[in-house]
Amino acid sequence: MVNNEEIVPSYWYNIIPDLPKPLPPPRDPPDAEFSRIDLLRKIMPSEVLRQQFTVERFVSIPKEVREAYINIGRPTPLIRAKKLEEFLNTPAKIYFKYEGATPTGSHKINTALPQAYFSMKEGIDHLVTETGAGQWGTSVALSARMYGLNSTIFMVKVSYEQKPQRRTIMQLYGANVFASPTPHTEYGKKVLNDNPNHPGSLGIAMSEAIEYALSNGYKYLVGSVLDVVVLHQSVIGLETMRQLQEIDEEPDTLVGCVGGGSNFGGFSFPFIGSKKGTKYIAVGSYEVPKFSQGAYNYDFPDSAGLLPLIKMITLGRDYVPPPIYSGGLRYHGAAPSLSMLIKEKIVDWREYNEKEIFEAAQVFLQTQGIVPAPESSHAIRAVIDEALEAKRKNEKKVIVFNLSGHGLLDLPNYESMMKRIG
Amino acid sequence: MNLKMLVSYATLGYPNREDYLKLVKGLVDAGSDILEIGLLPKYAKYDGPVIRRSYKQVSSWLKDSWGLLEETRRAVNVPLVILTYLEDWVSSLSELLTKMRETGIDGVLFPDLLIDFVDEYEKYVQEIKAHGLKAVIFTSPSVPDPLIHKVSMLSDMFLYYGVRPTTGVPLPVSVDSVITRVRTLVDNKLVVGFGLSDINDMKKALNAGADGIAIGTIYIEEIEKNGVESAISLARTFRGIINGA
Repeated sequence: MVNNEEIVPSYWYNIIPDLPKPLPPPRDPPDAEFSRIDLLRKIMPSEVLRQQFTVERFVSIPKEVREAYINIGRPTPLIRAKKLEEFLNTPAKIYFKYEGATPTGSHKINTALPQAYFSMKEGIDHLVTETGAGQWGTSVALSARMYGLNSTIFMVKVSYEQKPQRRTIMQLYGANVFASPTPHTEYGKKVLNDNPNHPGSLGIAMSEAIEYALSNGYKYLVGSVLDVVVLHQSVIGLETMRQLQEIDEEPDTLVGCVGGGSNFGGFSFPFIGSKKGTKYIAVGSYEVPKFSQGAYNYDFPDSAGLLPLIKMITLGRDYVPPPIYSGGLRYHGAAPSLSMLIKEKIVDWREYNEKEIFEAAQVFLQTQGIVPAPESSHAIRAVIDEALEAKRKNEKKVIVFNLSGHGLLDLPNYESMMKRIG
Repeated sequence: MNLKMLVSYATLGYPNREDYLKLVKGLVDAGSDILEIGLLPKYAKYDGPVIRRSYKQVSSWLKDSWGLLEETRRAVNVPLVILTYLEDWVSSLSELLTKMRETGIDGVLFPDLLIDFVDEYEKYVQEIKAHGLKAVIFTSPSVPDPLIHKVSMLSDMFLYYGVRPTTGVPLPVSVDSVITRVRTLVDNKLVVGFGLSDINDMKKALNAGADGIAIGTIYIEEIEKNGVESAISLARTFRGIINGA
C-alpha cells in the first residue's frame, strides 16, 4: 500500500460550485434582535469565515498546514479489508480509509489544524470550543498547542464525568477543560441557577463557548456542519482518490457515517465532484432518524440559536436525541451541501440501530483487528450489507468506506452494549 | 463611452414619506441610473440587519405602499425596479405584476427566485415579461456556473450578482476573484452588490469587470447617522468612483 507524503494534497476541494442547484444561503431569523451572520465575524477567524463562503472549487492548503498534516501522520492509510471480504465470502473488494490513525483518533483534527493555523496567523492567542464525547475538543486542544495557542474546551458535564480519559488527553495537550454548565459564563450561570445539577448538553456547551470567546476576545472554532469544515475534511477524499489511483482501482460505492456530515462530505465529495463512483451512501443512526424523518428546512445549526439559520435536513434544533453510544451521530441536522445532495438523490442514505451496528463492529474488529468508533460502525454495517448484496448478485464491486475514528476510548460503551445486546 | 451604472436602493418610505421622496430625487440627481425600491416584505430573509431595521421602521406607519410608489414614479424619471420576495406573492403574482405595470414600474427583482423557486424560475420569469415588466434576475456565488450563464441571458436590464450571502454584512470574501469568475459566464450587463459598501471593494468589483454597482445598506446607515442629505452626497461620491474606474 502506498503511503508517502506526495499523497497529501496541496489543495482542498469545495463542492459548492459543482452542486446541481444553488446552495441556499444562511439567513437571520425573522425579527432577529441581532444578526447571527454579523456575529460570525466576531467569533470566527477571518480566513476561516472567508473559506466558509468561498466558491473557489480548489482552495490552496498553506504549506505550513500541509506540513502539519504530514506531521500528524497524513496520509492516513487506505487498507484493503481482505479478512472482512473473506469472512463475508463476497466477490466485492472492500477498502477503508483509516482516519483513526491520527493522534487524536479521528478525522476531526483535519479541520482543527487549519483553523488553529489561520487563527495564529491572525494574531489570535486563545481558541475556544465545545465538545461532547471529546473527539473535537481533543483535536482543538492539540492543534492549538501545535501553534502555541491556548485553548479552552467546554465539555458537556456528563461526558466530563463519564469520559475521564478524553478529559485527561485534552489537559495533557494543555487545554483548560471546563465541565459545562460552568459558572464562567452568564449563560452557564443561568443554567446552574435553575438546576445546580444540570448534566449539560452540547447546545449549552456551545453557547458557553461562543459567549466565552466573545467576552474575552478569543476565537471560536467550528467542528462540523459548516461548509468550511467539509472543505477541510476533503483532504480525506483527495488522499483516497490518489491512493486508489496508485493501485489502479476504480471505486463503485463510497460509504461514510453522518453526524453533521463533515467526515462523509470530506470523504465522498471529491469523488462526487469528479464523477468517480456510482453510488454514495450516507449512514445515520436509526435512533436519530434525520434522514427518514427529518425535514429539509431552515434551522439553527446550534440548539442555542446563536448561529445563522441554514437550510438542511433536520429533526429540529430542540430535538432531544436518545442516549445512544454514537455520540457523534446524535446531532439534529446534516451539512447543507450534503442535505441538498440527498434531496437531489445523488447521495443515498441508510439508518441502522444500535444492535445492527454493534454486530458490524464485532465482525470488523474480529476480522480486521481495529476497534471502530461506534459512529464508524454505522458505515461498516452499510458496507457489509452492500458486500452481501454483491455476493447475491455476484458483482465484483469496489466498495470504499471512511473509518472515521477508532473506538479505543469507547470501550466502556462497547462493554455496556455487550451486556445489553451481545 | 458608456459609463458604468450606479444602481441605488431605497426602502419604500424610509425614513419617512417626506425624506424618502427627497432621497429618491437626490439619488437620481446624484447620478443613479436605476433605482431599486424595496417593498416591505413579510420576512426579509436574505437582507442584513440594516435593511431589516429600515423595514421595521417603515412597517410601523406605511399603509399605502402603492400610493407612495405612484409618487415615486412621478418624482423621478429613471427606471424603477421593485425588490420584493416572491414568497410573499406566489398566490397573487398576476395582481402584483398588473399593479406594478399600472403604476409605471419598469421591472421586478425577486431575491429568492433562484434559491427557493429554482425548479420553476422560468415560469416566473415568463410571467413577469408577459405583464410587460422587466425581469431582473438575482444570482450569487453559490449559483452553479451553468445556471448563471443561462439566467444571464434571460435577465432584463442587467444580471444582479450579490457577492455576499446577505446584504450589508462585510463578511470576508474575495470580491475580485468571485467577479472574475462570473464575468466569463455573463454576456449581459453585470451589476454587483450585496455587502458592497467599502470603496476598495467597489473599485475591485469595477476593475474585475462589473458593469455597475448596487448600493443600499450604506445609504441607510448614513441616513441613520447623518440624514438624507448626507446619503445623497455619498451617492455623488460613488458616481465619481464609477466614472473614474
